[in-house]
Amino acid sequence: MIEANGITKLYKIPHEKNVTLFETILGYVKNQFTYEDLYALKNVSFRVNKGEIVGLVGKNGSGKTTLLKILGGIIPQTKGEFHIEGTVAPLLGLSVGFHHELTAQENLYLYGAILGVPRKEIKENLDRIFEFAGVGKFKDMKIKNFSSGMIARLAFAAMVQTNPDVLLLDEIFAVGDKDFKPQCFSVFRDYKQRGKTIIFASHDLDAVAEHCERTLLLDKGELRAFGNTKDVIQQYLTL
Amino acid sequence: MQNLKNKLNLIYELSRLDFKLKYYGSVLGMLWSFLKPFMMLAILYVVFFYFFKVGIKNYEVYLLLGIIFWNFFADTTKDSAQGVTAKAQLLQKTNLPPLIVVASVIVHSLWTFLITLAIFFIFFFAIGLHLTWSILTLILLIPLLVILTAGVSLFIVPLHMRFKDFGHIWDIFLQMLFWVTPIIYQYTLIPEKYIRWYLLNPVARIIVDARNAVLYNFFPEPKQLLITSILVAIIFTIGLIIFKKHGRRLVEQL
Repeated sequence: MIEANGITKLYKIPHEKNVTLFETILGYVKNQFTYEDLYALKNVSFRVNKGEIVGLVGKNGSGKTTLLKILGGIIPQTKGEFHIEGTVAPLLGLSVGFHHELTAQENLYLYGAILGVPRKEIKENLDRIFEFAGVGKFKDMKIKNFSSGMIARLAFAAMVQTNPDVLLLDEIFAVGDKDFKPQCFSVFRDYKQRGKTIIFASHDLDAVAEHCERTLLLDKGELRAFGNTKDVIQQYLTL
Repeated sequence: MQNLKNKLNLIYELSRLDFKLKYYGSVLGMLWSFLKPFMMLAILYVVFFYFFKVGIKNYEVYLLLGIIFWNFFADTTKDSAQGVTAKAQLLQKTNLPPLIVVASVIVHSLWTFLITLAIFFIFFFAIGLHLTWSILTLILLIPLLVILTAGVSLFIVPLHMRFKDFGHIWDIFLQMLFWVTPIIYQYTLIPEKYIRWYLLNPVARIIVDARNAVLYNFFPEPKQLLITSILVAIIFTIGLIIFKKHGRRLVEQL
């Protein structure tokens, strides 16, 4: 269950980029501190029930990733509050926790740790993860030698094993071959049956239409619609 | 409870990652971390013992202990900042707490520090010196050093995140602090009227007390130790507050 109330994210974009201490002090002295307000999200409120797979669509820059980052606890919101029941796994990019110089197995320990899984549990699940991803042969090979598809499968497999209550997915199908998508969706269906909640941001409207009953539509940071997927997608296409 | 265990596991995993990355592909590898203080010792010893004729007895161990303590402080503060900026991607795309990253750097550093200290004591016995009960003071002094270092790291990491050139500023500050700390010389060299301010430097206090404990069979005065503890506690609290207030927010600016 996810409940969001008035989520607002305001970025103050400085007109002059003050990155160094020197520039900042100089900026103060010359009184050059002008900013432009950018509302990445403006007063977004909605409620997702347990066991729902909800789509999140919108143009690039509409605030999808920002919303997921806020819900996932990665960045704080400027105003508003939200409440999520259960553990949350934000998956904002598939190979984010992976480090190139480590082997696949070492990366799984690290990835698992980042996702909050106890070490013992990761150890027990190792074989299952490799089998699910189909890369068992390469478990002692460095990630830098993996193909992007292999990494995608491995990351997805690892994420699945962590068994979160709520999954926040941000366009994870950009990388991944023809077999990857069906694999993901079978996991989604399984998750839904087990009462888990998923918010699934994507540009792949067919996938969204097929798997999500309801969909959120963001435009320029505002929630334009939240309801029946087919209708919302229609609205998105006419934006 | 499980949450704490998970956090500790994460700190462990991140330390291991840093460990592997630091030494991967280098020939001397891990050895370099332990070689560094001895190389510093060699240079400083030659210059100050032979050229400047600083007449301190057992100058090698006098210097070495100060160097080892100082290096932990200086290197950890630098590495904390570097560790956070290096993990920008990770911090921006997962809910990895920046505090955990800093903690893992400190753990990694502490590990190296303790091993170097062990080597110090091997050296200590090798040249024929003896320990006394005052060595037990280290049980108080080392945690104080760690908390102090943690506090300073927590304070400067947000500054590094916000200002891209802060690394240079910190380097210069460390250089100055090195000379204002009695590593190479005895603090008794400082003129009377400045000594109260001079001894407000917690790093100086810890190093002086540590040296007294190891070399001169001297327990620190409880009052002085209390003052050190209060200074360290204040610095740590300020550092933690600043870090908690700005750490997550500044991740976006990495």
